[in-house]
Amino acid sequence: MAAAVSAVRAAAHGHGESGGDRGGGFLGPRVPAEVEAMARAVQDMGKETFRRLLRVTVNALEGKDCKESVKLIAESTNLSEEQLAFLISGMYTLLREALRLPLSTFKQEVSSGGTWEIPEDFIVDFSSIVFGNRRPTSEGTALIQGSRLPSVQDFKWRVDVAISTSSLARALQPSILMMLKLSDGTAHRFEVPVAKFQELRYNVALILKEMNDLEKRSVLKIQD
Amino acid sequence: MAASEPPQQPPEGSKPLSALLSGIAQAAYYGNADITEELLRGQLYPEAAPEEFRALRTKMSGLLQSIASADMDLNQLEAFLTAQTKKQGGITSDQAAVIAKFWKNHRMKIHESLISQSRWDNVLKNMNWRVDLKSQSRHIDQINTPVAIVEMELGKTGQESEFLCLEFDEAKVSQMLKKLSEIEESMNSLTQTT
Repeated sequence: MAAAVSAVRAAAHGHGESGGDRGGGFLGPRVPAEVEAMARAVQDMGKETFRRLLRVTVNALEGKDCKESVKLIAESTNLSEEQLAFLISGMYTLLREALRLPLSTFKQEVSSGGTWEIPEDFIVDFSSIVFGNRRPTSEGTALIQGSRLPSVQDFKWRVDVAISTSSLARALQPSILMMLKLSDGTAHRFEVPVAKFQELRYNVALILKEMNDLEKRSVLKIQD
Repeated sequence: MAASEPPQQPPEGSKPLSALLSGIAQAAYYGNADITEELLRGQLYPEAAPEEFRALRTKMSGLLQSIASADMDLNQLEAFLTAQTKKQGGITSDQAAVIAKFWKNHRMKIHESLISQSRWDNVLKNMNWRVDLKSQSRHIDQINTPVAIVEMELGKTGQESEFLCLEFDEAKVSQMLKKLSEIEESMNSLTQTT
């Protein structure tokens, strides 16, 4: 936890001391304005209020709707709407940037910081989110939120053999009817002649092989 | 195209007949609407009277339709044509030879075209794919997972295609392959029993 605390400390402080030649830490060379504003605003804040704000922020990171809970906080504390906006967006940016990095990189990236403005108790709270067990949840959310093309959700098929048609007394030709339901909600139905089916199957097998091969070639991976 | 048939068949009159059969196939099976009766007569049988030509064309179309509809193999064809030569108002044995030769060359193509005439759904016409390695995104610094982008061209013959662009992770590709293997098995069991 010591490393964690110092990591977030360096983050909130945000200057070039972290990691020697690594530059300005995970927040970039300049600390975002909302993080600085947040760091100032939490100085004289009660622990209870701080934790409630933090909980709202984490929920927001996990993609939940937080309108109601923010409204509740606004009603029960004497924080103005502007102060609330600064606090939540500052926490949000700080956590989002911290969670963006994989754990191992994050630990290397930030070493002990210098002077510190946020009370020690609050740093521990931030750290427990970045390094704690909520992390997989927010990572999953980030993956889902990422831009992507539609994927196949359901795949149904049927093999037909036409016996006789208006133009052929004896067709006896199999063909496959496929139905793809996609993640964007659309459905597509199409026929696949046998020759095309063999081509499709060959290509899907080839794709799988290429993907397996790619995973073995770790050279391509971005790693610190 | 009908007029430029190579002049190599020895029996008299076989060249225009062979071209006529091609013309009929173009119009009836390959969807070529430009081949009209008038055009065929003018190009192939300019001396024939229109009624005379129409009778010949109707007879040949009918024969071709019977042959194509039954998808006759060579034995069936021989029996069929022999019967036609013996029939009153049937065909000559020279004509029969031309028809047999024509069918030998066009059987596969005509059969394929007839099959597709009874296909009304969209058909998978083509597919393209690419394997990418996802590296980073706005919210994640290191993703490093392979992903397949697959484009499928779906459409009806003679109509504009629709392109379906899909993303598959490794698990999804593997699932898809499993389903395709099931289809393959199902088809194999069908063709074995017939």
